[in-house]
Amino acid sequence: MLIPSCLTVRNHYYHMVVRSLELELRRRLGDEQVASDPLDLYVFGKDAGLVRGEPGLVVFPRSTDEVATIMRLAGRHGVPVVPRGSGTGLAGGAVTTGPHVLLVTTNMNRIGRLDVENRCVWVQPGVINLDLSVHTTPFGLHYAPDPSSQSVCTIGGNVANNSGGPHCLAEGTTVNHVLAMEIVTPDGDIVVVGGPAPDPIGLDVRGLMVGSEGTLGIVTDVLVNLLPNPPASRTILLAFPEVEQAAATVSGIIANGLVPAALEMMDQPMTIAVERFANAGFPTEAAAVLIAEVTGHPSAVDAEAEVVRRLAASHQATVIRIASDEAERERIWLGRKSAFGAIAQMNPDYYLHDTVVPRTRLVEAIKQTYAISKRHGIPMLNVFHAGDGNLHPLMSFDASVPGVMERVEAAGKDLIELCVAIGGSLSGEHGIGLEKRDYMHLVFDEMDLDAQARVREALDPDGKLNPGKIVPQGSRCFDFGQPPPEGAWV
Amino acid sequence: MGVNLSASSQGDSGPSTATPETIDEAAGMMANLPAGGDRIRIQGGGSHRGIGYPVTSDMILSTSRLDRVVAWEPDDLTVVVEAGVLVEELEEMLASKGQTALLTEHAGTGTVGGAIATARSGWRRYRYGPIRDRVLQITLVSSDGRVVTAGGRVVKNVTGYDIPRLATGSLGAMGLIARVCLKLWPVPQAAATVPVESAEEALDIAYRPLAVLETPDGAAVFLGGTPEEVAGQAAALGAEPAAGLNWPSHPSGAVRFSVRTPASSLRGIVDRLDPAWNYVAQFGVGEVMVATDEVALEELEEMRRRAESLGGALVMLDAPAPMVRAFDPWGTPPPSMEIQRRIVNLFDPGRRINRGILPGRI
Repeated sequence: MLIPSCLTVRNHYYHMVVRSLELELRRRLGDEQVASDPLDLYVFGKDAGLVRGEPGLVVFPRSTDEVATIMRLAGRHGVPVVPRGSGTGLAGGAVTTGPHVLLVTTNMNRIGRLDVENRCVWVQPGVINLDLSVHTTPFGLHYAPDPSSQSVCTIGGNVANNSGGPHCLAEGTTVNHVLAMEIVTPDGDIVVVGGPAPDPIGLDVRGLMVGSEGTLGIVTDVLVNLLPNPPASRTILLAFPEVEQAAATVSGIIANGLVPAALEMMDQPMTIAVERFANAGFPTEAAAVLIAEVTGHPSAVDAEAEVVRRLAASHQATVIRIASDEAERERIWLGRKSAFGAIAQMNPDYYLHDTVVPRTRLVEAIKQTYAISKRHGIPMLNVFHAGDGNLHPLMSFDASVPGVMERVEAAGKDLIELCVAIGGSLSGEHGIGLEKRDYMHLVFDEMDLDAQARVREALDPDGKLNPGKIVPQGSRCFDFGQPPPEGAWV
Repeated sequence: MGVNLSASSQGDSGPSTATPETIDEAAGMMANLPAGGDRIRIQGGGSHRGIGYPVTSDMILSTSRLDRVVAWEPDDLTVVVEAGVLVEELEEMLASKGQTALLTEHAGTGTVGGAIATARSGWRRYRYGPIRDRVLQITLVSSDGRVVTAGGRVVKNVTGYDIPRLATGSLGAMGLIARVCLKLWPVPQAAATVPVESAEEALDIAYRPLAVLETPDGAAVFLGGTPEEVAGQAAALGAEPAAGLNWPSHPSGAVRFSVRTPASSLRGIVDRLDPAWNYVAQFGVGEVMVATDEVALEELEEMRRRAESLGGALVMLDAPAPMVRAFDPWGTPPPSMEIQRRIVNLFDPGRRINRGILPGRI
């Protein structure tokens, strides 16, 4: 006779609790807002990264009050809640570590009344990043953070990961553009943090929430700051025979007192892939292609473009092309933002990495990625925000080939260790999630991790929200949640 | 351990002053405080000492000897400094290679630690954002002797919770701010100050100037960029520019306060200021710093009501003791008070550093 183990009994009981919670949520929110079909649970089992989990059920609230109801009911049942936007995250931040409630914000997509005078607007977390800027364009305003996934990613997801984008070099990332937010706490209370005036009094809880990956509260409304559209811009395509020359040009531009709106670099493998895919007119024989964009007052941009041109020429640029019109500018940016599409053409699977190094160590980092690529036999292409040292090595592979995932994992680990060794950090804009949680000790000692855990404890002492993310287990004297799901490889 | 305790000049009953020379020494001092005599007040350059509720202390911990520039990487646009480094000395050093930390332009005796602890931004925040946006990494010493570092020495980072941002403006309540890494900016090649009739109209004409400030003497636009840009923007403003940035000094007086509102509401505040008062209003930002030797409580209360109804605040920066007792330095506490209290209690167990200084008397 088989005797069920304690664990089996516990799991069985837990599933009964989740089903009981589901019934109550269906009664309170309506059937159309709750999903628990095996296919739904599978589809919502992962984000754009590699880790897979399986939620216990998926809910689609339409309002702050419904989010609060979900938090309270789930809390009463002892089932954690994991918030999710469009699922474009790459670090497993929106992947459940057990049969938890996955709270999808995409139905909360209202853009509030635009305050043109103060250049700000309240938006719900499910609003798509690009939709916001499209909405504000007629008023001469835009929302500055522009991740490459901006046509699908949500503002809520951007807040959770403090997303950046090519244009965050001069304008900063999400945290620099969020004035206030309404949050639902783990206990289901609704609190507003921050405000429309500068420097709200007390601790900057608003700033803490940004980048906290849904572990401290669920953001249900965000007051975002908008910027005036620049009256003029110049986009310059540069190509260099050596990566060093491109990097030296970047340093030279900044040393000349300029911080361009964007300084984006692609290495030769990436340029070739992009050119094959998007036909953007990038020179494929160059070791590095640099896209520099200067924006500002009409009297500023030509002089600044001239500084860029002069520096590129002094570093042996083989191509210096200033976009002559908007169509050419768009074609250059289309090429840059096609990197992922281009990669998808090469192999069935790709894995986009995200690390940061001090800008002066870029060349070293890139050369090392080639060595890592060679060592593990995984093609690696580089596209990165050169101005701020944010690397995005893209690995291209076929996951169905036996042994490949192990090599991808090993290469990823080498990349992280390399970046930390040269003074960098684990993530520039994708977050820690599950993917990098167990690397946190590479940049933080025990005391530092304990402090991270204290933040978590202050806001979510019972682990009701997104358990198992960011802070490694055992950093404080209590456990943060379930072990990672099966198949979680980092 | 080289603990450096010097007797206070205030006699036996006054607090003693400790001046640690290293972060480890500061941690050792804090860890070994006697029970019952363990309330600590942090002292930097003294330029912000009037902020918040008054603090009683058994010991003053001065950051004056935590004054090293730990690392400056001009090509990475980062600098790592200890809390006691003087703002003016840091900016002078950075200027030697054409860089700036965008700290306050008239710091006087102010330290970097003081600027971070009070979240005091400089005038250039309209263009570059507040000081919070530049604190990349922070090292805190807690009152139980823990040395905690968060953030990183890179200009873009989402590795762990943003404790540097949380500690900026914490007035020491999360621990002594002992060391920070700041993001730097290159100083533009050219700069000019353009006097204008109307701050609001100038804001509409100029494209993202460094600042648009108004004082009782008039308004001016502060421009920075390539020589071509500065000339072009000045021409558009239609006034004769003066070369360089002629920043106004901070308004001085026995009573100093800051009124913060959404940017478009600032005129309504400025126009109601008593004509005898001194002020610097930051248009486009939404803050006016006011100073006077005399003010009626009713006037302050009315101004605070107006600011708070707009979603802003009136914060006292300095006031004589009787006024501090009669008029709350912060005003209505924010709705997230409970969250703030829990954070502070976990970072400073026993609440020993600057106890009660924050809104809500945390």
